[in-house]
Amino acid sequence: MTPEKPTFFEKIQNVDKRILYLILIVLTTIPLFPMFSSIVLPNEPAPHSQAFYYQLMSVPEGKTVFIQSDWTLSTRGENAGHIESLLRTVMSKKLKFAIYTVADPQAPGVYRKYIQSVNAERKRAGMKEYKQWEDYVDLSYFPNAEGTLNAIGSDVRKIFNKRVKDPASGKDRLVFESPVLKDVVKVGDVGLYVVITASNSFDRTVERLSDKTKVVVMCTGVIGPSTLPFFQSGQIKGASIGLKGAVDVEYMMKYGLNYPDSTGKIKVPWSGKEELKADPVVEGMTIARGSLYFMSFHAAIALLILAVTVGNIGMFMARRKKA
Amino acid sequence: MDFLAQVDPRVNFWATQPGSVEMWLKILVGLVISAGAIFALIKMPTRGRRPVVMAFTFLCGLFYVLLWIWPSPLNRKPDEIARSPAEGVSFLLADTLPIVATITNILVAILLGLGVYSLIRLHGGRIIKRHADRGFSVVLLVSMLTITVFGYLDWGMRTFGDKEGKLLDIANWGFVNLGADLLFDGLLQQMDSAMFSMIAFFILSAAYRAFRIRSVESTVLMASALILMVSLLSAVVVVWNGNVTNLAAAMNVPLANPSIGEAGALNFLKISNIASWVTSFLQTPALRAVDFGIGLGALAMGLRLWLGLEKGGVSV
Repeated sequence: MTPEKPTFFEKIQNVDKRILYLILIVLTTIPLFPMFSSIVLPNEPAPHSQAFYYQLMSVPEGKTVFIQSDWTLSTRGENAGHIESLLRTVMSKKLKFAIYTVADPQAPGVYRKYIQSVNAERKRAGMKEYKQWEDYVDLSYFPNAEGTLNAIGSDVRKIFNKRVKDPASGKDRLVFESPVLKDVVKVGDVGLYVVITASNSFDRTVERLSDKTKVVVMCTGVIGPSTLPFFQSGQIKGASIGLKGAVDVEYMMKYGLNYPDSTGKIKVPWSGKEELKADPVVEGMTIARGSLYFMSFHAAIALLILAVTVGNIGMFMARRKKA
Repeated sequence: MDFLAQVDPRVNFWATQPGSVEMWLKILVGLVISAGAIFALIKMPTRGRRPVVMAFTFLCGLFYVLLWIWPSPLNRKPDEIARSPAEGVSFLLADTLPIVATITNILVAILLGLGVYSLIRLHGGRIIKRHADRGFSVVLLVSMLTITVFGYLDWGMRTFGDKEGKLLDIANWGFVNLGADLLFDGLLQQMDSAMFSMIAFFILSAAYRAFRIRSVESTVLMASALILMVSLLSAVVVVWNGNVTNLAAAMNVPLANPSIGEAGALNFLKISNIASWVTSFLQTPALRAVDFGIGLGALAMGLRLWLGLEKGGVSV
């Protein structure tokens, strides 16, 4: 007896995974080709992204922000867009920043690369480069997140008892003598506390610092949902979640928030918060890495939806036929 | 404990001039004392170790418990003197916290070193015993040694040999700097990215084969997953929401009622609003409940460890 030939619906339930992989590679790679890089997909920033951008743009010029950068290149698809848009905005607004990690010894090597690349981009565009000591301080790695964050909340001057090179004298000096941190006595003195993370390290930050300073988060999509209870409760003031979050920030960097263009049209309205406004970023790149990856992201999600739908239709039809 | 409270960022017994002979001497003495303490602990009979570990665990836990329950000083001035013993304790706790945090940072760094030692011991043993998979152990140890050597050489050149900051420019990099960059950025980080990106393939394959509507629960799960996935596709969202706005205009129904601050019924047809409802009213409360449960569990576990009731935690 010859085995029964599989029907069409049985076949579409069992497409070879190598074919699926190939389709995924092709669909996610093609949008990265240079001819597609200028395409900007329309966007509606999420409310938590809008709150994030508003908080960032509300920091007065010259003020210091703390950046806790707890990610490495494994999540660069999302976090690279986050850190680049953050650094571009911070540098454009002439804010000073202190950057460090409490999560991963590899993280300082990663964020240093991005500071260098954004600086190089500014140099090419004829803008002022950010210099260690004058404009930012790199505090590197603190191995124990809980203890360090507790201490930041209690006495930031003691836990950041580090020295960095002062280019003017060529000597290592205490970071609190630098223009970046000289006015910071407690963590509440910073304009904003930004956590960029691929893990739940922001949980520890929220638990220990959210009542002492304004905390905002830039995180991967995987842990994004766990930030939302904190956003709802007001413990974090904004969140840029996943690649969509990076794209949202870039989009608002270009068009502002509740900001009317020359024709008076508001491209990004903030529903329910019409009285709050954030300007677009005035110098440097705005639409960049996040938006470049966004079409690939669309393709991947669309393929995922299609695969699930096709698999289910196949299952239903095959069952119906058997019945 | 008062000696810890006196520490400030300036040079004193606990914070000497960086790079000085005194500092290196203190590091050496510290290492010898630590090694002695670890050696003594190893040589101690198991029955003796348990109370030592329990006592340390209790003392360390007590510090953070006190920090949590004792009132914190508010708007304290730098030279303010405590007006009561209770305030004195709160000042002491606040002053000691950064020092304790520094000590815990050092302890965690030692744990990192312990991990390296453990790896070398395990894989070195496999190589010596000519284990069948010793090739992997050789690769691991050679990789670790190479990246360590290049990393430290690069760090040394930047820290001690580059007073003018020339190495910030790639054009001035030598063999060591290029080697360190290649090993860290060119290999380690890229392999990290590659490993993570493979998840996309597994997710696609698993979703295609396993995400089937076979029950009410899976139907609800799929419906909410589809809504949230579509809500991430901004190109689709903009078109969908635009159509809802046009529909409302055609039906002459307001999308929102600003006078009472409420959205109209049609507004709920916007995909972003449906997704927002799912996350705000279904997902977030569920996550909060899970977090609450985890918190209670962690509290119970923490108490057991702190009070030495957890046998596994102290069976050294």
